[in-house]
Amino acid sequence: MIKVIAACVIGAALAGGGTVLATSLATDSTATAEPVNETLYNYGDR
Amino acid sequence: MAVRSGAAGGARRLRWAARLLPWAVGLLAGVLALGPALGPGYVLRYDMVFVPDLSPGTVLEGADGFPRAVPSDVVVAALSGVLPGDAVQALALLAVFAVGGAGASVLFARAWAGGGPVRAGTLAASAAAGLAYVWNPFVAERLLLGQWAVLLGYAGLPWVVGAVVRSAELRPGAGFAGVVRALVPAAVGGFSSVVLTGLTAGPVALLGARRAPGGAPPGAGGPGGRRWARTGLFLAALVTVALPWLLPSLTSGAGTDPAGVEAFAARSDTPFGTAVSLLLLGGVWNSGAVPAGYGEPVTAAVRLLLCLAALAGWAWLLRRGRPPFGAGLSAAAAAGLAIALLGATAPGRELLGWLVGLWPGFGVLRDGQLYVAPLALVQALGLGAAVLWLSGSSVAGEGGAPPQGLPVAGAVRSPGGDGPPPAGGSRPEPAGLWRMVLAVFAGLLPVVTLPGLLWGAGGVLAPADYPASWLEAQRAVAGDGRPGAVLVLPWSAYRGIDWSGRPTVVLDPATRLFDRRTVWNDDLVVGTPDGGTVVVTGEDARAREVAGLLRPDPGTGLPERLDPGVLAGAGVRYVAVSAPVDNQFWSGVDGLSVVVEGADMVLLEVQDQHIKADKATISGLEVTGGLVTVGAIIWSMARSGSSLVFQCLGPSSGSGARKEIPK
Repeated sequence: MIKVIAACVIGAALAGGGTVLATSLATDSTATAEPVNETLYNYGDR
Repeated sequence: MAVRSGAAGGARRLRWAARLLPWAVGLLAGVLALGPALGPGYVLRYDMVFVPDLSPGTVLEGADGFPRAVPSDVVVAALSGVLPGDAVQALALLAVFAVGGAGASVLFARAWAGGGPVRAGTLAASAAAGLAYVWNPFVAERLLLGQWAVLLGYAGLPWVVGAVVRSAELRPGAGFAGVVRALVPAAVGGFSSVVLTGLTAGPVALLGARRAPGGAPPGAGGPGGRRWARTGLFLAALVTVALPWLLPSLTSGAGTDPAGVEAFAARSDTPFGTAVSLLLLGGVWNSGAVPAGYGEPVTAAVRLLLCLAALAGWAWLLRRGRPPFGAGLSAAAAAGLAIALLGATAPGRELLGWLVGLWPGFGVLRDGQLYVAPLALVQALGLGAAVLWLSGSSVAGEGGAPPQGLPVAGAVRSPGGDGPPPAGGSRPEPAGLWRMVLAVFAGLLPVVTLPGLLWGAGGVLAPADYPASWLEAQRAVAGDGRPGAVLVLPWSAYRGIDWSGRPTVVLDPATRLFDRRTVWNDDLVVGTPDGGTVVVTGEDARAREVAGLLRPDPGTGLPERLDPGVLAGAGVRYVAVSAPVDNQFWSGVDGLSVVVEGADMVLLEVQDQHIKADKATISGLEVTGGLVTVGAIIWSMARSGSSLVFQCLGPSSGSGARKEIPK
């Protein structure tokens, strides 16, 4: 049981660290914000 | 004795865990993904439009053309009668994650453990499957595109697959009721959800459960006969839940613009090209719907490895677990991927254009990325299998049979009955610590490789309150019992708003705000990478007619002037200018009065006593269709004495587990 809990804690910690790392990558590459206060907008851009 | 008592207690705890964990996983994933979107206020983004006090009349008389908002918005309108609109939205979004995560989790547990007791390793693996099903690029991109109704149908896919398999072992009435019950999310989702469900569960019904070894399958007739009976039963259930939109669509006369084939074709959102992007469950046509950082080479490469591991896990599950839906779901995933790839090649686009020209109903194939949904289920179950393998729990089944009994027809038939312990009675070899760590890490990898979905997709899904002028305009129109439609200007379907403090593009909420027919430009303009645009012509004939009368400026979407007589002749009572405009084109026009004037909304009233009333757009046939669907769903619930929530949960030894099987 202790081993299972330890595995969960370590695995979750590793995943958390990986998520933080990936989030920092994502933040660095955040796309441009959509413009507002124009009259016409596209449904989206390919 | 004490040992036996302890073992019984452990088994009981595991049974409860098997019941609760799937829903806990889905709910937790939903809270993590939606975050601020669950708070007060309305999340508005692309196709996702919720308004306060949505009226069923708004939905049913909203516009001519294909009834895409039926019945999803009708259900929202009905719920808005008892709950605030923003609470209804939060529930709908959370339901996507809870129902989808629980469904995939339960389906995995059934595929692996059959009706037998579930072990801890299987529970962990099923949780991984549930998480992977709701935390992937498909869900993220469709959520960012605002297609919550499609996602609701997606969430129901595992339940439908399970119900179709079980239906083979039940009497027709019970089987039909089970499938209808599982189809409730698709029924609410509407058109795209039902099509997606047909693609996913149709092959499962057709290819179906294989024959139990050493004996004839239960039920009358041979395997071939049962297969066709099961397929017929599934199709009948699918048509039954599709009636609310199917009947109106047959009489709508709506056309489909083939330009949408190019506009909505899948595109690459990773460095690996369109085909691999689709394999990774991404590839949505709209670059604005891609989560932040998703296409980064590092995360995309890890995502690719995860995808390959999940596919390997699926192959392993097919070989070892032999789930009765394996062949059918594999075929559905392959067919879905093939459809998605059609738009990515020139010959495929030509073929789609030809098909759309042949019959407008083929327009459903334009947005190809939608059809990777069955592949998402395959990958989720595959990742669960990979986690199971990593955790070492799979060794218990070695020696011929799967660990807790082959999930053949008999095992699947019992939606909750404990099966006998494995014949060998062997306990799983304890896995090493680091192997278990790896299993836990692998189970959480969907989040690691897609952090852009966290907390409202990085705050993109932020709630906002409607400006006071909008609510004032809504009340003014609702308080007027005279006939006449609302014309929405500027003449463009989408608006850029920053009510939440974060700019976003959304389908003009004014198209849903008023409790009567609205006339708005339903043309869809899609930007292309070369800076050009593709215009997909809308389906509302009356909008085309009004556009001809207004002749709006293509640059601003505003008319040079408004003629109240022309508006009255077109049946327009109110004009809602739902965006800040510099040009006050209504100033000094006799016959137009300003009812509400705010920075974001101006409501004008046409002072004409001869505005014709809109004719009723709901026929008796359509009402009957809707009632048949609602009646079938209520009957299916009453027949089993349960609901979607309880129909496919983990093992239990209660007598209610066999409630669906008439004796």
